[in-house]
Amino acid sequence: MKDLLIKIIEVAIQRFGAEYAEARAQRLFKTMLTVKEEKVEAAKEGIENGVALRVLVNGAWGFASVGFFDADILMDAVSHACKMAKAASLKLKNPIKLAGSKAIEDHVPVKPKRNPSEVPVETKIKTTLSIAENVLGYDNRVRSCTVDYLDLVGTNFFINSEGTRIEQDKLYVWLRVLATAKEKDIFTFSREEVGSTAGYEVFDVETPEVVGERVAKRAVNQLRAKTPKGGTFPAILGPNVVGVFVHEAFGHLAEADLTLSGSVLMDKLGKKVASESVTIYDDGTVEGAFGSFKYDDEGVPTQKTLLVKDGFVVGLMHNKETAKKFNTQPTGNARAEDFRVEPIIRMRNTFMAPRDYSFEELVEDIKFGYYFKSFRGGQANLDGTFQVGIQEGYEIVKGDIGEPIRNASISGNTLETLHKVDAVGKDFELWPGRCGKGQTAFVCDGGPHIRVLEVLVGGGA
Amino acid sequence: MAALKEEEIVSLAEFAVQYALKKGANEAEAFAYEGLTTTVTIERGQIAKSSRIIDRGLGLRTVVGKAIGFSYTNIIKDKAAIEETVSKALKSAKASKPDKDWQGFPSKKPFAKTKNTFDETICGLSPEDLVKTASIMLEASEKTDRRVFPVEGGVGASYLSRSIVNSNGINGFDGGTVVECSLATVAQESGEVTPVCFEFEAERLYKIDPEWVGAEAARQAASALKAKRVETKSMQVIFAHFAIQQLLYYTLMDAVKADYVQRGRSALQGKVGEKVASEIVTIHDDGLLDGGLRTWKFDGEGIPQQKTTIIENGVLRSYLYDNYTARKEDMESTGNAFRAGYLSTPHIEATNFHIIGGKKSPEELISEIKEGLLVYSVQGAHSSNPASGEFSVVATLAWKIEKGKIAHAVKGAMLAGNIFATLKNISALANNERKIGPLVTPWVLVEKIKVVGK
Repeated sequence: MKDLLIKIIEVAIQRFGAEYAEARAQRLFKTMLTVKEEKVEAAKEGIENGVALRVLVNGAWGFASVGFFDADILMDAVSHACKMAKAASLKLKNPIKLAGSKAIEDHVPVKPKRNPSEVPVETKIKTTLSIAENVLGYDNRVRSCTVDYLDLVGTNFFINSEGTRIEQDKLYVWLRVLATAKEKDIFTFSREEVGSTAGYEVFDVETPEVVGERVAKRAVNQLRAKTPKGGTFPAILGPNVVGVFVHEAFGHLAEADLTLSGSVLMDKLGKKVASESVTIYDDGTVEGAFGSFKYDDEGVPTQKTLLVKDGFVVGLMHNKETAKKFNTQPTGNARAEDFRVEPIIRMRNTFMAPRDYSFEELVEDIKFGYYFKSFRGGQANLDGTFQVGIQEGYEIVKGDIGEPIRNASISGNTLETLHKVDAVGKDFELWPGRCGKGQTAFVCDGGPHIRVLEVLVGGGA
Repeated sequence: MAALKEEEIVSLAEFAVQYALKKGANEAEAFAYEGLTTTVTIERGQIAKSSRIIDRGLGLRTVVGKAIGFSYTNIIKDKAAIEETVSKALKSAKASKPDKDWQGFPSKKPFAKTKNTFDETICGLSPEDLVKTASIMLEASEKTDRRVFPVEGGVGASYLSRSIVNSNGINGFDGGTVVECSLATVAQESGEVTPVCFEFEAERLYKIDPEWVGAEAARQAASALKAKRVETKSMQVIFAHFAIQQLLYYTLMDAVKADYVQRGRSALQGKVGEKVASEIVTIHDDGLLDGGLRTWKFDGEGIPQQKTTIIENGVLRSYLYDNYTARKEDMESTGNAFRAGYLSTPHIEATNFHIIGGKKSPEELISEIKEGLLVYSVQGAHSSNPASGEFSVVATLAWKIEKGKIAHAVKGAMLAGNIFATLKNISALANNERKIGPLVTPWVLVEKIKVVGK
């Protein structure tokens, strides 16, 4: 495989005049399960093998993706990719240039305690069914439970014209539980995800009992929750909500491709964008975390990237193209979902660093406000407008956690809100998730509990 | 690489089914998919990339006893790979548990007739042709307003084919084309950045208007500048096409799926025959819509697609069914089994969810509003409570309407409500229907929406 890809790259450079070329081959095996209530829908297994070729010719990109490893088909594809690049260069104003990176030769095996490819499907069915049983058995008001399970095991080969040759094994285990509860006319909904790059052993900690109860309890508690008042309030954000906030509201703006597209961070590099208690990292090196890997899909080593230090923007997330534009080094954030798509700048494990407040200290001064503990989706725009839906939240009354609320969502402008973070807790949690930016990427995000002086709360109807 | 011929791809599917039966399956069904896509991509103001993606594969469902197994592969050029897929699907069925509600794969029925779903011209488009189209779009955008920056976009041309064979005699092939162009823009002026504005056209035939897309994307961004906050109060809101799609996708469009209903996850459970929307609302799921983006001769199980009335003058008439959920209720499938290519088993999805438009022009709708909002796009709809229909979203691209005229752009306004209550408060539908993914919709005027401003 390696030799064939090296040859393809040589052809791109020597015969078709490419300035840069890379080949990414993938052999992947996936297992998927869906359980609805006590029923397993078809257990699914599949193979996804293919090659992605990316070339830079005359300053423009050409890309070809094929589900084959045959030499003649790949030769055809590389010639196609170079022709595509030449066509794309016809109207080019600013030729694309890339930051160079040093040649790497490495083989990165995975070392799980329990490799999902060696766990029988029967065991996976048993685990997912058991989660559903735990959810449904928690309370008879829980009406439905869907469990989706995915594992993915395989190998990626990455070869480029700078001499990098990497063989990197991939391993992901992921699971999502959705539950609904109903009482009279009230419908509630609860969601949890589990994700790991370590191995099937993640279910030794996140057992069906633990996960099941977490999902079911929330759905049931929400039944007696009230809808929040709409308006501006002080708030405590839990690690799970802080995570989605730093990811959605801040992180995307700091993806250098989006920064260049005009995100509000464009003219803020080196400037203060948050209160001094805010420090934010995007870190690909957290062991076993869902967003970790050793090399990205441009063959660049991953790293722990400091984005905000004590309130100042000090870094962005780069691929080779944006690094060149900013005259800096790529940060190992170029990721491709699979061989069908090209690598783009994605987050890894994104979090706010903890400080020194206890939870009690954060809450005690709030006369009336909200504690937002767990999120249900979030989204942000280049102008810095963010929205985070809340699936678990509580009132704070006179310094104490009070009644639960449901169907709240919070919104605001990211930079204004970051300036209003006035206290940061000492605890820390990292939560797995999936991020969509045209492609899906496995990530984590998190942080400690934080206090925000004010945030706009969209109430219920 | 050229597309596979109908005979080639169907015979692969036939072989998979025959081989599965021979190896001990009681029933088998193969779905083969091929997609050939050429795109050119606009990034940060220029055309800088072109791609060619070939994706093909086969997904196989096997039934042993009443237990179902599924396996897929994207290696379909030799029989050995198909044989391996068959044995994986059988293994997966044996590992699975029997489903007492399973009543078999569907039987053969004549396929539907479709109109305007294939255009040879689209198959013949070269990357140079697409570059030309993308340039027209970019230039139109640049010409419209100099404060506007085209962030990203592109032009794509695809040929897609789907084949299905099952052990009950279903055997079919359908090939179609799609061409699309899109442009996302932002405008910047004295430190203010607008939200990302987006415009696109997607068609089955080669009749897109890149000049309109470019100019319209730029017009939206320019007019989103100088945004102001609004007061918190209840007001009339016009939801434009994208906003409707964003609000309905996770709520109403899930609530009418028979599996959601049967599992108690739908707020519309038990409401067939009841009034669920304003009487001016009529919605068809039209799998045969002329030139519809999701129009095919048959669905993901080989059942002919059809036109199903979902809501008629406000009254709920039907849910959407696949074969499994239909047989459970002794009904017929409505042809709504959806496949994400070869990678998945079928699940229920709308085809072309068609909200029938009204008589008024969009300008007339605006002119009749004293105080309200025109909302083009919302953010956070996926964080709605899909079971109850409650939503709490930010209007990311919106304008204030005062005394029948657009007054100014709006920032930071949150909209909260319940989608099922909102359906009952629809007071007018415009005459400007358009295709947005699985939806065909006009602008929709809703009477009372809670707007949380400042």
